[in-house]
Amino acid sequence: MLDYIIIGTGPSGGNIAHNLFKAGANILLLEAGKLFNKKTFPRTEADTSAMLYWGGGIEFDTDAKMGFLRTRLVGGTSIVNQCLLDRFDDIAFNDWKAESGVQWFSPENLAPYYTKVENKLDLHTFTPSDMNKNAQLFTKSCDKIGVKWGYLRKGQNDCANDRGNDCMACLGGCHRDSKQSSYAGYLRDDITEGLNLQTETEVHQITTNGDTVTVHAFQQGRQVTFQAKNIVLAGGAFGTTKMLLQSGFKKQLPALGKNFSTHPQFMSFGLFDEEINAYKGYFQTVASKDPNLRKKGYKLENVFAPPISAAMLFSRTGSYHQDIMRNYTRMTCIEVAVRDENAGEIKVNNKGRLSVDKPFTEQDRRRRDEGRELIANILTNEGAKKVYASPFAVGLHLMGGSVIGANPAKAVVDPEFRLHGHKNIFVADSSIFPNAPGINPSLTVMALAQKLSDQFTGTTYDKQIPKQLSTESY
Amino acid sequence: MTSKYLSNSALKAINRIGDLMIPRNGEFPAFSEVGGITYIDELVSYAPGADIKDLNMLLTILAFMPTFVLRWLLGKMETAMENKGPLGPIFRQLDIGLRGLIFSCYYTEKVPTTFKGKKPLDIIGFQLTRVED
Ligand SMILES: Cc1cc2nc3c(=O)[nH]c(=O)nc-3n(C[C@H](O)[C@H](O)[C@H](O)COP(=O)(O)OP(=O)(O)OC[C@H]3O[C@@H](n4cnc5c(N)ncnc54)[C@H](O)[C@@H]3O)c2cc1C
Repeated sequence: MLDYIIIGTGPSGGNIAHNLFKAGANILLLEAGKLFNKKTFPRTEADTSAMLYWGGGIEFDTDAKMGFLRTRLVGGTSIVNQCLLDRFDDIAFNDWKAESGVQWFSPENLAPYYTKVENKLDLHTFTPSDMNKNAQLFTKSCDKIGVKWGYLRKGQNDCANDRGNDCMACLGGCHRDSKQSSYAGYLRDDITEGLNLQTETEVHQITTNGDTVTVHAFQQGRQVTFQAKNIVLAGGAFGTTKMLLQSGFKKQLPALGKNFSTHPQFMSFGLFDEEINAYKGYFQTVASKDPNLRKKGYKLENVFAPPISAAMLFSRTGSYHQDIMRNYTRMTCIEVAVRDENAGEIKVNNKGRLSVDKPFTEQDRRRRDEGRELIANILTNEGAKKVYASPFAVGLHLMGGSVIGANPAKAVVDPEFRLHGHKNIFVADSSIFPNAPGINPSLTVMALAQKLSDQFTGTTYDKQIPKQLSTESY
Repeated sequence: MTSKYLSNSALKAINRIGDLMIPRNGEFPAFSEVGGITYIDELVSYAPGADIKDLNMLLTILAFMPTFVLRWLLGKMETAMENKGPLGPIFRQLDIGLRGLIFSCYYTEKVPTTFKGKKPLDIIGFQLTRVED
């Protein structure tokens, strides 16, 4: 009998599978998507959406006002993400503690797990020479109007930017294996060493019988079942919550599906006469790091979008659309990421499909509008002739739905990562986030996964783990 | 051209709507001139069967709509974010779905050799460099 089945291979599943594999446990790792590598990742934006993303590119809330992005392949969403890795601060953990009643949430208590993850991955904090023109204009304008900013820290080892490589290419998977996805950072070598991985296997139900858990899945159209002493759900906020809902746990756990948040992001573009080429080089090296904005509940990110995504961000077509796209290389871009209220709910409809309610609350709206206003000010100060604010909200950080908490009436997972009332079903992925931290989530997903791994393997920390560079986290 | 997944009427609808969204304008070729639709099966093949069926049905209906109806529909889609009515979600989904399909076939590296003009990606100046070791 297997010791553990782990479902999902993103930052959570990748970390846990790696740790259990190295500890010699008898494990099976299941993933709905395929296995790609640096030679086989898609090479065009259109192929990336179609081949890697759930929903063929984007999924919507029931009101179709917000789009959600998540992927299905070995490595999960870490394959396409920007791999910006930040620790959470006191503000985030205090809010989590208040919402969940979980007492161990604090930067100090999580520090050994953060450190272990940081030591395993290659990290790079950007420097002035990494900035492209979009970043140079952003930081200059922030200085002028008094917004504090800082360099971002990314999981990467050799991006060859000095030789002209453009990191936008790695939004469909890093062709250099430089980006520290859970595939490159954890699973790639384990797979070579014989990790038991089954791909194209989508789990739709979990049943328990005393000491055994049975996992029911479709594998390339065939129904298959697997049994283990324990299972770990690591399908992300949508994936894990959907599996639990489909397995009928909502009756025992009324909070299942609730408390969904997503850091909705709104992009604005500034138009210039000269060439900016914001998509070139490292296209995301800096962001606001301003305690005032942190308190106000939003942050500003200096980013850019590839052509199809950029075209999608403007609702109009015809000559208006063409005028914008003609100026693609003459635009700068800033987005506001809102620390939103966890008012969303993930459900499964009678066709077995996800149905996500994500009301945009009054507070969310205020934060977005304030952020947009500040962005318009920064872009104008950069010297932009015109500012375009996209009406579209995109959620990249899908969080909650199976939240952690001490009270089974209000939470799904207990403070030891067990499904309330079930000794052998565990979750430590982005679905357990009690509310939106307002900080990039994936390092903390991995730190929580590390904590659960250590719980499994009985690892304890003498507080002597060498401390790697840590960042301010807003 | 023919498709394994989409009917001829559906393909016709994509070209018609595409040309309304992206007409020939200055250096920009019209959507249908580029021929990016040739590779549509590569995109559609990854979608679940039920989604492909829905898409085929929708496009087949749109194929038979007169141009003024399609223009009206595009207008509704463009303002869908402000639409608070019961049809708002449908127009918003249509907007993202159709624009997604059309922009994916237009701003593409995969253009058939029969197209002799300048590719839209070249016109906008997008040229990614991948350094491989
Ligand atoms: C474009 C983009 C950029 C981002 N940039 C950043 C960033 O810079 N920094 C940051 O911290 N975060 C970023 N994020 C968010 C971050 O990637 C996610 O928060 C993180 O990957 C969540 O980890 P996870 O393990 O919980 O889930 P995921 O990474 O989503 O992994 C879940 C895996 O489970 C699989 N799965 C789901 N359901 C099933 C099932 N039923 N059966 C089998 N397998 C299943 C999925 O296919 C997937 O592979 C970004 C996200 C996007 C989309």
